[in-house]
Amino acid sequence: MTTDVAIVGLGMTAMSLQPGRVPQDLAREAVGLALADAGLTHADVDGLLVGSSQGVRPDRLGVAFAAQGGFGDLRLLEHVEIKGATTIAMVQRAQLAIATGAARTVVCVFADAPLVEGKGAGSTYAHSGGQSGVRGLERASGVLGSVPTYALLAQRWMHVTGASVDDLCAMTTTTRAWALGNPAAVVRTPLDAEGYLASPLIAEPLRRLDCARPVNGAVAVIVSGDTTAGHAARIRVRGSGREHPVRHRRAGAESWFGGGRRAVDDALAEAGMARSDLDLAELYDPFSVVTLMLLEEYGLTGGRTAGDFVRSGETGPGGSLPTNTGGGQLSGFYLQGMTPLAEAVIQLRGDGGDRQVVGATTALVGGIGGRVDHHAALVLERAA
Amino acid sequence: MTAVLTADWLLADTLAPHVEGDALAPLYDGAARGELVLPFCASCDLPLDLDQQVCDGCGAAEIAWRASARTGVIHSLTLMHRREPGLVVATEPYPILDVELDGGHRLIMTTCVPPASLPRIGDRVTVAFRELGGVMIPSAVLDPTTPSATEARS
Repeated sequence: MTTDVAIVGLGMTAMSLQPGRVPQDLAREAVGLALADAGLTHADVDGLLVGSSQGVRPDRLGVAFAAQGGFGDLRLLEHVEIKGATTIAMVQRAQLAIATGAARTVVCVFADAPLVEGKGAGSTYAHSGGQSGVRGLERASGVLGSVPTYALLAQRWMHVTGASVDDLCAMTTTTRAWALGNPAAVVRTPLDAEGYLASPLIAEPLRRLDCARPVNGAVAVIVSGDTTAGHAARIRVRGSGREHPVRHRRAGAESWFGGGRRAVDDALAEAGMARSDLDLAELYDPFSVVTLMLLEEYGLTGGRTAGDFVRSGETGPGGSLPTNTGGGQLSGFYLQGMTPLAEAVIQLRGDGGDRQVVGATTALVGGIGGRVDHHAALVLERAA
Repeated sequence: MTAVLTADWLLADTLAPHVEGDALAPLYDGAARGELVLPFCASCDLPLDLDQQVCDGCGAAEIAWRASARTGVIHSLTLMHRREPGLVVATEPYPILDVELDGGHRLIMTTCVPPASLPRIGDRVTVAFRELGGVMIPSAVLDPTTPSATEARS
């Protein structure tokens, strides 16, 4: 017998492009909103999972949030950390804990505040990373921030697959089209190819508009096995999967990409679904090239190249596989895995407003971490 | 705005790696002698990642850092347009190469001097060193005789 585990609460702060507020404060607000959304109180919660990005801030959110956030005694408390894949892994962790009886109702919260006074986001990332180890050598070679590493990935992937800058452009403009209908998106102006090409290059082939928009913000979801509690629209966690491909930087195989499909295969198998059953794909898209790569890697294009798939409109409004329907991390907001997760919950509840995908009941949610070293996938379905 | 003091064409001295006690100290020690010293499995000779502790081929935990060929081919590359004030002193976009060395490792580097033209994936390079804050850093010398883009799509 399988336990009916569902996302029963969602809370989101404003996604701010301005400095100010610490992660703990953002987390407190998101958790409060999620509890109110679910009609629950702190006393109903027996599990807390926290996530935060490493590196940029020393005051990152941690397990001390149990006390800071006003929780009582808990049966499950962890700081989950597999880089960008963390938030999707948190929901999987909650799902497994509930299924085994280790917890009943689990709050998952991720808060990040990379924007600090006096610096742009790019500058903050450029100054982080230190001067030791492999990263120290890379930085001494001019690899500042995360854009140049993903530019190397992009160049290699495009060289091997034959993908083009036209494909990057199509991915970026299609994702922007979705953002127009999302009040929470940080960029909501229409974008065409001309506008894309006017965007300054950061690291070839990536332009500013190929890169995610970091924000200060937090999202919390409440995962519960209590079928009598929570929001009226229960979003069931039907399946989850992981893959952590271990690649090495040596001749004989690709170093920058490859792997991840098993996370999706396992999540679908647990759900008893096929790719053709998916109404939505909400993928982690820190850079336009990543979405293209994941569409192919996860087997979502029916054997077509991702560029062809996207250019023919399949991922856009009215397409066969609406993808990153809130504008993703590129045009919506970059709050790591909470971006695709929150959008999936909003769509499956039917709360997508101008961007709602009519009749959507199932979604694939994907998270990646590191240099595409970690993949976590969920299959969600709105309970009938 | 104070001027950035550095001898390097690209970066400020403040980005010089902290060598003492660093996991990559054998690489920096070798670079100071003009050698490209990299980690191999002491048991089966597999080229290892710079921070690898155990060989994924044979399971051995002993690592042999030794001089490797200073030649290779460009595996990927980008031209970095964003130049962070205070960290980057170059006034034009600069190259970052991922070089697949003939000894089997892949190593990220920039060039020893500003390149006259941008190379392409598949071009051959030689590895030399540039000085950053007293530390020698592996960096590429582009071969002007290499025909561009010789590697076929795979």
